[in-house]
This record gives sequence, structure tokens and C-alpha cells, in this order.
Amino acid sequence: MTNNTVAMLGHAVKAHDRRPLVPIHVVINLNLLENNGSIKGANWIELPPGSYTLRTVKTSTAQIEVDIPYDHLVSHAPIGEWGRIAPLRILSFDIECAGRKGIFPEPNVDPVIQIASIVTVQGQSTPFIRNIMTLKGCSPIAGAHVMSFDQERDLLAKWQEFVARVDPDVIIGYNTANFDLPYLLDRASHLRCPSFPHLGRLPGVETRVKNTRFSSKAHGTRESKEVNMEGRIQLDMLQVMQRDYKLRSYTLNAVCAHFLGEQKEDVHHSIITELQEGSDETRRRLAVYCLKDAYLPQRLMDKLMCLYNYMEMARVTGVPFNYLLTRGQQIKVISQLYRKALDENLVIPAMRSGASDEAYEGATVIEPIKGYYDVPIATLDFASLYPSIMMAHNLCYTTLLKPQTISELKLKKGVDYEETPTGDCFVSSQHQKGILPTILEDLLSARKRAKNDLKRETDPFVKAVLDGRQLALKISANSVYGFTGATVGKLPCLQISSSVTAYGRVMIERTRKEVEEHFTKANGYPADAQVIYGDTDSVMVRFGVDNLEQAMALGHEAAEFATKRFIQPIRLEFEKVYFPYLLINKKRYAGLYWTRADKYDKMDTKGIETVRRDNCRLVQTLIDTCLRKILIDRDVVGAQNYAKQVISDLLQNKIDLSLLVISKALTKTEYDAKQAHVELAKRMKKRDAGSAPALGDRVAYVIIKAAKGAAAYEKSEDPIWVLENNLPIDTNYYLDNQLSKPLMRIFEPILGDKAGSLLNGEHTRSVSVSAPTVGGLMRFTVKRLKCLGCKALLSDDEKIVCKDCKGRVEEVYHRQLEVKNEMEMQYNRLWTQCQRCQGSLHQDVLCSSRDCPIFYMRKRAQKDVSEAAVTLARFDDCPGWRC
Amino acid sequence: MLEARLPQGAVLKKIVDAIKEIVSDANFDCTDSGITLQAMDSSHVALVSLLLTSEAFDPYRCDRNLTLGINIKTLVQILKCSGNDDVITLRAEEPADTLALVFEPPSLERISEYEMKLMDIDNERLEIPDTAYHAEITMAASEFQRICRDMQTLSESVTIEATKEGVKFSAEGELGSGSVTLKQGGSIDSSAETTTIELVQPTTQTFSVKYLVNFSKSTSLAGQVRLAMTAPLPMLVEYKISDCGHLRFFLAPKIDDEE
Repeated sequence: MTNNTVAMLGHAVKAHDRRPLVPIHVVINLNLLENNGSIKGANWIELPPGSYTLRTVKTSTAQIEVDIPYDHLVSHAPIGEWGRIAPLRILSFDIECAGRKGIFPEPNVDPVIQIASIVTVQGQSTPFIRNIMTLKGCSPIAGAHVMSFDQERDLLAKWQEFVARVDPDVIIGYNTANFDLPYLLDRASHLRCPSFPHLGRLPGVETRVKNTRFSSKAHGTRESKEVNMEGRIQLDMLQVMQRDYKLRSYTLNAVCAHFLGEQKEDVHHSIITELQEGSDETRRRLAVYCLKDAYLPQRLMDKLMCLYNYMEMARVTGVPFNYLLTRGQQIKVISQLYRKALDENLVIPAMRSGASDEAYEGATVIEPIKGYYDVPIATLDFASLYPSIMMAHNLCYTTLLKPQTISELKLKKGVDYEETPTGDCFVSSQHQKGILPTILEDLLSARKRAKNDLKRETDPFVKAVLDGRQLALKISANSVYGFTGATVGKLPCLQISSSVTAYGRVMIERTRKEVEEHFTKANGYPADAQVIYGDTDSVMVRFGVDNLEQAMALGHEAAEFATKRFIQPIRLEFEKVYFPYLLINKKRYAGLYWTRADKYDKMDTKGIETVRRDNCRLVQTLIDTCLRKILIDRDVVGAQNYAKQVISDLLQNKIDLSLLVISKALTKTEYDAKQAHVELAKRMKKRDAGSAPALGDRVAYVIIKAAKGAAAYEKSEDPIWVLENNLPIDTNYYLDNQLSKPLMRIFEPILGDKAGSLLNGEHTRSVSVSAPTVGGLMRFTVKRLKCLGCKALLSDDEKIVCKDCKGRVEEVYHRQLEVKNEMEMQYNRLWTQCQRCQGSLHQDVLCSSRDCPIFYMRKRAQKDVSEAAVTLARFDDCPGWRC
Repeated sequence: MLEARLPQGAVLKKIVDAIKEIVSDANFDCTDSGITLQAMDSSHVALVSLLLTSEAFDPYRCDRNLTLGINIKTLVQILKCSGNDDVITLRAEEPADTLALVFEPPSLERISEYEMKLMDIDNERLEIPDTAYHAEITMAASEFQRICRDMQTLSESVTIEATKEGVKFSAEGELGSGSVTLKQGGSIDSSAETTTIELVQPTTQTFSVKYLVNFSKSTSLAGQVRLAMTAPLPMLVEYKISDCGHLRFFLAPKIDDEE
């Protein structure tokens, strides 16, 4: 971040006349960014009148270009009026390409057929431009401007022109960084469209694609492409999602379903070509779909406050906006460190970072006393534990003492310096206050201010800004500790990080001791308190009282009592009571969370399968429902019955396939051991290279039955393939490997040894085995008819019922007819639901979304209907039902 | 109700032992003519077909068709409690939710009764239609078992080639290759040891040897085994149970383009 960083966007500039906040987009040629470190990412800059000269010959497409000596720039800290976010122009776009069957679109073959663009001004709720450019004609669409082209090159050229005209500050989309933008650029170069690769604000600079690899401990390794666009920020919502949220699936559809609560139709790319080659009407269909896809990233961004949160993060840490997505955690800390060091007149050594596997002891976990607690359990938390420790004990790079220095200067232990539990020594704050404690104090006091302001504020936009800020401040404060412990980092200092955790351990232990010694019957309390569990920065206490008010009062008292025994600013807070509380193991518990005595806030679970992603959704819903029944309804028997019912449904193949899908990310191509998702990805690649998962994608699979003793990786299969070919699900795998352990974990503390009966009782004795349509022997087999009345085998001359059921043939017919009608109804309902989702009740449903439970249900219902029709047709073959 | 007394109880034990590796749950269909079982292995490559006619039992009574859903593992465990010479009686009432097994040694000094909970198995009844085979080989069951085990040491698959001279089993693997050829037996006294081949046309097919080894666990049921092949249809491996039934296995041939 030193020289020639062109166009720091987010520095929207306020001109010095008093018209409030006119958006003027300026390219700042910051030759000397490090003027005094006060220009930070995403804050306002003032150019005092007379201090600048307007350029007449412009080098960019910006509206105004000025020259100003750097020391005349006035940077405003984001406080009050300066805290607002500039009315940035945001372009959200999506492209469609006409691929060939089975091949993922390639830019030198497959044309770009549509580009949809949505432009919104930050802070406004609706976009002011919606347009779509299509190759070949397209019927009009209400509320959108349709532009059709006969030549693909014209389409691309026009879009480039459009981008230049509309001059967006932020460009967003879904997977634009790795797909849409590189594809457009590659396609343009293939079609020899020289005007296209100029998407930035500097007309002289060509937009190119660069391959990058981003590797971070927190976010894993991702290969990605980088496209330069001077003066515009790119925000790929896919990358934002993958970075900030842990989801089962990252397709736009799944993400929207999760955050916006709505589904979108998912058109398989092989259908796109068909639609393109149809009529104006089918192309319109595609255009509507494309427009929707372009609008969704914008809505996601608004909903999740991404822009606010990222801007605030940039303001708090001082790094440019685009670093937040492309760089890791450390840059944020080191940038603050540099700024502070500059203030203090210190230089920071450039350390060669080398990976070392030096490890230090982490946080402590108090051995849990496992069980089901039907009494209130109070939880005491240390507020910002690690930052507080660093501040309380003045832990910093600049305060670390060598033994040699201590003896040379004859420093006194306990007065001049302090020895940490790990034996490292830090000078006390009256001699030298550390940089890190100062940074942390600034961050935490800023957070306190932001939180106070947030309480008073009424304007929703300012509220969003403030909330984003306090979040950014919290994250920043907590990442300082991690920075000192990152051995591959820029400035690791294990003396600091190990001292921090050591203090943490001592404090947890001390809290336990103090609480257990003070809150006793002998001291006049209702019962002897017991710490049943503690982790990192919290302890769970059983005060031995059985009502919430008492537990809460004691919790408050204990928090105050313990806080007095620690150095400022370390504070123990009483936050919540769990009642009832199910403590399964270390880092695994569930409980009903109360902050007020009259109503519980929520059900809180940690480390239980409801949140893990490498399980199928059945586990999640089953465990969640069981916990709800146990904790909220206090109905253990109901929970058991529910679990039994689910197991029974599973064995009889009545569980919806979407609940059985397991997903795992394909993070590298070569694994040491064979894994289910990797092997499946390979197999899918053989079947259809286009739809097969790529590196970084999450692979969805189900486990199917295979030969006895086959490894799990041989049994993984694509859910859609399973559905189409009626492959039997390995229900025992789901029972033994997915359901049993989590179920046992929650039921064992309650039921004890009897919990085992959940897995092999009467309810497991009804199974259903479906016959696939593919597989070794299936081609040679014929189905033998069964009696529709009693399922007994029929002899060759019987077609409908066996001789014992002959008298009931009318009744059997009615039953079959009812079954078929019901299935048709079911299918119709699902079909119309899908039609509503695609926004038209007059057209066929094209969607084949793998993330949508309705899709699996619809497919299955379709199959059920046709099977029921075949069964019913057996009656037609026998006139008078005589056979 | 069903009541079936099997004088040679060991037959049931042998049958169940032979199929336990292939099938985990199966329906035993009982009619007035006997008991049948039809089940596929979970990878849908092999099919087991059992027929025990009413003559195998003394007496046999089945008033109306009954389907007994049996977990084979459980049945194996219960049959372990019976002696080799025991007479086994099967009994089930309508509706069939349990199966009673009674074991009586010839001395009649001890009667043991077990009751097994049945399952409700909802599956499709699949059959392989009868065909006229191009090559039918009858050979000693023990010889077949030995060949399969020998071939398994070399490879996952075995190729069976039937010509009018004889039948050749060959396997090729990473370690090496091997083959066993049995000549068509010309001796007049056709003992169990003789190999006979009835040929419409020479036939060669390749199979997964793992399944054949499992099939050959039925060796104790019959002295001879019959292999019947028609390319590209599944092979039939048949063991006759005295004169009162058979245990048949069908195995899909390996197809070259499979992994």
C-alpha cells in the first residue's frame, strides 16, 4: 500500500460547497498515501477550496480530475455526518451462455447470449436501471429494457459502453470473479472485440484476467481469477458467502433460500441452448430468468448489509476495501500496527516469516460433569477475554523483556515488570505502555461508543452503519491475539499469545475456585454451587436452586463478586441461564437460553449435529426436533417416539431424498485416502463433464446399497441419478453411521442404558427395498405380480388378486384408485408450487435445482404417479376383473 | 397357518449358510406346494432362488399363502442352536409376525423351541425367465468350489469357456495367470466326479469370482453342480436338494466397459 495505488475507491469525495453529499466520483492518484496515515479505507476526504486545480486534460473517465498537494487533503474520521456512506452506484449483472450438451461452456466456442444488468444507488431500495441485452430477438419484459442484437460482438461492445456510461463504483454478481467476467473477456478476445476490455475508469488500461491463489488458515485455499478494473470495486457475492457464512451449499439458489427465504428456478445449462434456439418467447423466458439472477446478488447484499459491514471494516482497520475480500486476516492487524507505530515513532522489523510447528497450549476446558440438568445453570462469561488480558497485563511486542535486560537495569518483579504464568516478562504500563494494548483500548472504547450510539439512533441506515462498525471492531479486537500467534504470519510473538492463553486458563480455574468457595451453604446460600463445565472464557455454574429468578440473581452476584478479584479491565459478566441444560461432552451441549425470567430467548446448541455440514439434513431435523421436544416441551417420551418414527420411515424408504443428501467440499484433487465425494466427482465427470462438480464446489451425494463390504466411497451417488434410476438407498448406513451416534449422544444422558432400544426396537422390523432400473442383473429380470389385496405372489393366470382376495376385488380397485388420485393431487400441488416459484403458471417447469427439497419431492411424486397408473392399468387388462 | 416338519433339519442350516453372505433380509413365500425364496444381493449382480417343495417336508401344511420376512443373520443365529441330526419344524400363524422353530434330536429326549420375530419386507419380486442355455456343464460341486477358490487368489474375475472338449476356467491378474481345464468325462459309470457338457454352441463368459466363491458354499447340499450359460445372459449355478427342490444362483456376466 505504498506507491501509485490508483483510485482508492470508497474515498468518495465531498466537494467543499455546502451542498450535502453530492456524489462525485474522483480518481485520486495517491502517490503519497502514507502522508500521515490518516487516510483510511472508505472514509471522506475534503479538498479545501483553492487548494486544488482542475485538470483540463483528463486521464480517466471520472467526472472531475483535480491535482492537489497531499498535505492539503483533509481526511475526516467517520463520525457523525462523515459516518454516512456515499451514494455509490452499484451494478449487479449476470450472463448466460449457450453451452453444448455435457460440456461446460468454453469461451472460444460457446457464445454469450444474454447479459442482464441492474443498477442501484446505495441507500435506495429499488434499482433505477434494469436492462437485458440479448442475442437474437426477445419479446418485451415489463419493467426492463430489452436490447436485442444479431451479432454477439455488438452485444459485448454495447455492454462495455453501458458500463462506461453508467460508471458504477461497485460491480457485484454471483461468481462473477471466476466465471462471468473472465468469460466475457475471453469471449471478447476470441471475437476480436478490441473495445471490450476497458471496464475500468482508466481508458488507457486494459482489463485482463489474472490467476491468483489465495491461501489462508481461516478460509482454506481457493484458486481464483482476478480481473483488474481501475476505480471500481468488485464484490463477488459468492466469495462473500464462502468467506463469511458456513452453508451446506453455495449455489445462488441455496443461498437465496437461506437468506431471502425464497427459491428461484434453476435452469440446467443444457436447457439454456434449447431456449435460445427457440422463439422470441423462449428467449424472453430465459431473459426473465437472467434478470432475476442479476437482481438476487443485489438483494442479498442489501439483506446481509455486506456493503455496510465491509465499509466499516475498512474504516476500522484502515485497509482499502478490496483487501477485505482478497487478503486474509493479518493485513487488517498489521495495518493498524503500522499506523500506531508511526504515531509512536517506532519502526517495525521486517521479519522473514517461516512456517514453524511450534505449538503452545491453548485455552482450557474444565472437565464437564455430563448429564441432563433439569435445574437452571447460570453462565458467567468474561467480556472480550483475550483483549482484556492483553490490556490488563500490558502484553505487547514493545513491552516484552529479555532476562538480560532485567538484570542489566535491575528491574524489580511485580513493580517494574510482571511475569506471566508462562515465565515471560513484560514491563509494567507506567514505564512503557504497549502498542497492542493501546490499539485494543481504542478498538474497545470505539465499540462501546458505537454500541451506545446504536441504542440512541433511529435512522435505519445509520443504524446499519453503526451495527456494522461495532461488529468490525469486535472482530478486529479479537483478531489481534491470533495475529501474535500466527507462526506463518508477519510478526509472530509466541511469548504474547502463549501468555494470553495461560492467563486465560488461570482465570477460568480461579473463577471456579472463587465461586465454589464463596457460594456455599456455610456462607448462607441455598446450596453449594458447583461449576459443571467451563470453556475458554465462560463457566457454567449450578447454584443448586430450581427457579430462574434465584439463579439469575445469584448469577449477577457471582459475576460482580468475581470481577472484583481480577485486574481492570477484565470483567466477568452474567449473561444467561440454561434451563434445562443437556451437557453431552466438551464443546457439546444444548440448552434453553434465558436472559429474562418470563420467557426463554431461544434454544442454544453447541457442537451438536444440528449445525454440522457433513451430515445429512435428516440428522439435523431429527436432532433438532428431539431437542426441542426434550428442552422446550419437556416431553422425553414424545422425543423417543418421534425418533422411532423417523427410523421406521427411513427403513421403509419413506424419507424424502433431499433429507438424505450429504455434502462435502471438493477442496483438492488428490486426496491420500479415497473419499466418497471425491470418487463421486470423478464418476460424474465421466458421465457429464459439464455438470460435474469442480474444485471448491460442494459435492452433494447419497449413500446407496452396494455389494457387501463395499467401502463408503464406492457407495456414494449423485442424488438425481439415484432418483432417475430408482437406486436403493443404504438405509442401514444412514441408521448406523449418521443417526445412531448423535441420537445416542442426546438420549444417553437422559435414558441411560435404555437408549439403545431406539435403534433396534419393533419399529426397525419393517423395511422396504426398491429395485433399481440399472445394474448387473436388472436387465434380465422380470417382475412377478403380487396380489393387490394381500401382497402374496400371484400365479401366472392371476393378474390382479390372489384366489383368497377374489371376493374383495371391488374394494381393492377403489383403494388403488384412491391411491392414484392422491398421488396425482400431490404431484399437481408440487408442480404448481414450482410454477409459482418460476413466476408463471402457463409454462412448463424447467427447474432442476439440486438444493431444493421440492425438486426431489416433485421427481419422486412424478415417479409415484406413473407407477400408480401402471398398477391401476392391471384392472383394465382384465375385463370384468375376472382374472 | 403354516406347519412344516423337515426331517433333515441340516438342509435348512446348509441353505441359510450358503445364502447368508449374499442376502441380508428376504421373504420366504409359503404356498401349498412348498416354500420359495427369491432375493437379490444388494449390488444387484446376483440373484438367489430357492425352492423347497412340499415333498421335502413330512408333514407339510399351508392353508393359505404366507410371506415370512426373515432377517437371515437372526435365522443363522437361531439355527446354530440346533443339532446336525435334528428334525426342524417351522410354524407360523396368520398374521405372520413370528416364526416358531422347533428342534428335536432323533433320540427325542430334548425339545427346543425358538420364536423369531419377523420383518415386513416390502420389495419387488424379480425373476429370471427360463431359457434354453447354449452350454450346460454338470460337474462335482467340490471341484467347482476348489477351482473358484484357486482362481480367486489370482484375480477378481474368472473366465469360463465351454467347448465340446471340456470346460476351462481361467484367471489373469497382477501376479500372474492360471487356468484349470476339465475334460468331458467319458466313463460309463457316471459318478458324481464326472464332468458332462451339453453344448448347443461354444460359449465364453467372464464373471466376478467373489460371487462364485459365495455360491460354492452350497457344496455340502449336493454332490454335483450345474452351470448353464448363454452369452450375454446371466449364468445359472444350480444345486439340487435331493429330489425336493433346488438352490439356484444367477450371476450377471462382467461387461468389459465396466470399471
